[in-house]
Amino acid sequence: MEIFRITRNAWGQETLEGMSWDLLPVAFGLGLAIIIGHLVWRAVRRKGSGERGRSPS
Amino acid sequence: MSQQSRPLPAGNRDGDGQLLITRHAPVDRVFHWITALAVLVLLASAFVPILGLKFSWVPLHWITGVVLTAAVLFHLLRAFPRLRCMWIRVKDFRDLAGGRRAAKYTLAQKLMHAAMGLAVLVVTATGVVMLAKVDTPLWQRNPYLLESDTWGWVYVLHGAAALVILTLTMAHIYFSLLPEKRAYLRAMIGGQMTREEAAVFHDPQRWSGQRKDDPRENHT
Repeated sequence: MEIFRITRNAWGQETLEGMSWDLLPVAFGLGLAIIIGHLVWRAVRRKGSGERGRSPS
Repeated sequence: MSQQSRPLPAGNRDGDGQLLITRHAPVDRVFHWITALAVLVLLASAFVPILGLKFSWVPLHWITGVVLTAAVLFHLLRAFPRLRCMWIRVKDFRDLAGGRRAAKYTLAQKLMHAAMGLAVLVVTATGVVMLAKVDTPLWQRNPYLLESDTWGWVYVLHGAAALVILTLTMAHIYFSLLPEKRAYLRAMIGGQMTREEAAVFHDPQRWSGQRKDDPRENHT
């Protein structure tokens, strides 16, 4: 996976063109990971607090 | 009588008779939704062609970019005097660790604002420079404004900030739709939330949703 887009100009010199768009699925995946990670953490926390609520104190 | 013990003034109530407090002024809500729409259009016009759906995306992208830049400049001028309510302090981390409620903004909200704010500043600043490469009715393109390598780094910063904005936008929309955070979304639409909803995450002694000249308000 490339980090940068690099092309060659008419004289064969390398030219920096910008970020590689290989990183687009990475950014999207990171967003999904945050969402799924938080959903899991939220479910575990709710389950834990529910069990504590049911146990005799 | 101390500031803390003064009774809270009567205010508007919702359909269930609960006291409503103001979280966002109309001007801030208009700014938020213009910014949100602009960011979504910019993300779509930048990334959809990369995914294979080809269309003439440049005019839509640069015009929406100018709208976003104008909105950001307006927000900077309006909100700068109140920057301290968004400033991230060690105290915010101590409050979170100690289970204490926040003032107007929670640590998570401040962190999201800082990250999104920084990414949007980078993307708008580089975007303004990149306008020199676009022919418009107002100016003609000048691709020789910068050296080739410098243009490359401008594009790198613009692209990197756009990718960060994509991730943060996904997270921001997800958190705004959570049932326990729905009051914030309602407040960003209608401006208000009930005092009970605010009290879940916010200490009424540090933020009660009253006027900014209220001596109980410190917003920090």
